[in-house]
Amino acid sequence: MGTLISSLNMALQSMQAEQEALSTTSNNISNVNTPGYTRQTVSLEEAQPVQYGGFLFGNGVAVGQITSQRDNLLQTRLDQETQQQSKYDSYLGTMQQVQTLFNETTGNGLQSSITGFFNSLQQLSTSPSDTSLRQGVLSAAQNLAQTFNNTANNLSQLQQNADLTVSQSVDQVNNLTSRIATFNSQISSATATGQNAGTFVDQREQLINQLSGLIDVSTIDAGNGAVTLTTSSGAALVVGNQSFQLTTQRNATTGFQDVYSQGADITSGLTGGTLAGAIQARDQTIPSILTSLDSLASGLSNSMNSINKAGTDLNGDAGGNFFTVPTSGSAGAAATISIAITDPSKIAGSLNGSVGDNSNINAMLAVQNQSIVNSHTPLSAYSNLVYQVGNDVSTAQSESTAAQAMVQQLQNQIGSVSGVSINEESVNLVQYERAYQAAAQVASVIDKLTATAINLGQGTSAS
Amino acid sequence: MSARINPNTLPDLLAAMQTVQQNAQNAAQEVSTGRRVNNPGDDPSAMAALVFNNAQTSQDAQFQANISDVQSKVQVADSVMNSASQLLTSAISLGTQGATGTLSDANRQSIAAQVAGLQQQLLSLANTSYQGTYIFSGTAVTTQPFTQDSSAPSGVTYNGNSAVTTVQISQGQSLQTNLPGDQVFTNSSGNAFAALNDLTNALNSGNGIAAANTEVHNAFNQLNNQRVFYGNSLNQLQSADSFLSQDTVNLSTQQNNLIGADLTKAISQLSQSQVAEQASISATAQILNLPTLLSYLK
Repeated sequence: MGTLISSLNMALQSMQAEQEALSTTSNNISNVNTPGYTRQTVSLEEAQPVQYGGFLFGNGVAVGQITSQRDNLLQTRLDQETQQQSKYDSYLGTMQQVQTLFNETTGNGLQSSITGFFNSLQQLSTSPSDTSLRQGVLSAAQNLAQTFNNTANNLSQLQQNADLTVSQSVDQVNNLTSRIATFNSQISSATATGQNAGTFVDQREQLINQLSGLIDVSTIDAGNGAVTLTTSSGAALVVGNQSFQLTTQRNATTGFQDVYSQGADITSGLTGGTLAGAIQARDQTIPSILTSLDSLASGLSNSMNSINKAGTDLNGDAGGNFFTVPTSGSAGAAATISIAITDPSKIAGSLNGSVGDNSNINAMLAVQNQSIVNSHTPLSAYSNLVYQVGNDVSTAQSESTAAQAMVQQLQNQIGSVSGVSINEESVNLVQYERAYQAAAQVASVIDKLTATAINLGQGTSAS
Repeated sequence: MSARINPNTLPDLLAAMQTVQQNAQNAAQEVSTGRRVNNPGDDPSAMAALVFNNAQTSQDAQFQANISDVQSKVQVADSVMNSASQLLTSAISLGTQGATGTLSDANRQSIAAQVAGLQQQLLSLANTSYQGTYIFSGTAVTTQPFTQDSSAPSGVTYNGNSAVTTVQISQGQSLQTNLPGDQVFTNSSGNAFAALNDLTNALNSGNGIAAANTEVHNAFNQLNNQRVFYGNSLNQLQSADSFLSQDTVNLSTQQNNLIGADLTKAISQLSQSQVAEQASISATAQILNLPTLLSYLK
């Protein structure tokens, strides 16, 4: 309206609007370092005009909406890349320790024990009846068995470490999903009453990102600001205000923890996060390495045993077993292989019964070049294993680096949409401050005019 | 409206600094270890090849040790053959002397005694042992090869066997390392013991000296023929040893190619990384110190 009072109201309204805008700006500046904070912008709109005396009069300013500047698609992409990066990093955490067991550059590894054993046989072949050389063979054989045992045991230990990671990660997942469910209900209530739930959404998105570091998460919009979270294979994690806890259960065959959701085993279906990386190392890669080691140990043992049994020892008796390995199949051979001979005279080096004959020792030496391990010679089988381990590490490292670069790029993109710029907010600050001051000035002027109006035709003056 | 950029530049700066620091660390490790490859993940195929390289280097060293052991034994055997040969030479000249028609019985018998003495020496030579095992027993190395046996035609019994031993002296190369005593000393083509025995008897009786002398000649030839074996063995051992020394050098070069650092390049990378590290730190500091608009507004 065109009256003084209405102008005063407009000024007051303006001050209020600018004050709300200032408050939003202040909130942005306060949260400049808060992780996951999305900046909020205020939209100032013209109020509805009023009709009076045949004219339409403007009615001042109103606060339209407070909006969080957020890009949901970018956030989803970031969560996906976070899942990948965490998966590879967790896998590498175990595999980098595995690869130290196969490091040829330090000279500690199975190769040196295998070659050492055959070298001791070479030495013995020059003088088969020499007891100290025979003892040398037994020492080298003992060393070989020990190296197999240690390598297998170290690998099992690393599996157990990965297993612990699985249990701990499941606990963390459950903690996060229950907190996310709480935020879901808070967001839904706020959205239903038309409020800006930006703060709650920010915090929920942070939790979802943390969750992505642990497990593969698919996000589905459930309406009213709530989201439904499932694993990529469809196991429910959060639906509305309810979270579905994961449990762990000991696998009877492996002895390790399987991951269950609502009674179903989802272990092998997990594709991202720390859980997937730990599970892959524990259930796939390390067992495969152990199988290769077992084949090598049992191949060597079986060959040596059958050759030794074909020969005659220093006492003129037929030879017995050289090594002891499990009798049923080759599983566990590397962890349990031991030598079956303690008396040096029992190495059956002779084929013709005389003590100086080294024919059977030469037969043992020939094993080095025989395809006794899945059509590979012992060293060639070991070399392939070393390659496999190195390749697994190298591939995971490249993938991790690539995922990390993607994460960084996405974070930059998100920052360009949602990040608080102090400079920008400073400009807003000044803008709103000036508008506030102007409105206050208007109010002051109208106040004086009102006083003038009141004093019309009066002797005394109001001021 | 122009595109808005991420106002928070810190993560990028930190990430850049970390990358530069990582590069500097890697370069430092390469320089200090002298190796480009320090883990299987650094170069899986190089590490796999290194398995064979290390194994072969170790095997070559063992072969050279074998060669050294066998060489000593062969040299001892060869020196026995040398003495035995000289012994038979003496026997030949004694035999020739004894065949002279003008000798008296007493003279011939005294020569016979000398020949008998030679046979004793031969027996002792043939029973030579090296490091606790007999050289000429075949593979029955703890059994004395020859024992005196007056009832035997050759005057000795051979207690060893006719088997031979082979030892690996290089990749894919084996060498026979012994000759059995019966092949050297009591062979049907030339039996040194029988010859000396017969010569002694012939000289004592005065009959069949010429035949006995022929036997001694045959035995002498047989011995010298057999001795060639030891000369050949020593040659083979020598050339195998040279080959192995060269192979070890080649393997060392190969290892360097597989995992060794190019030191010149690594050192220059190290100093470059260190410079980059300093530059990155200084740039970050400058950016962090930039004032915002707020400090200009009063």
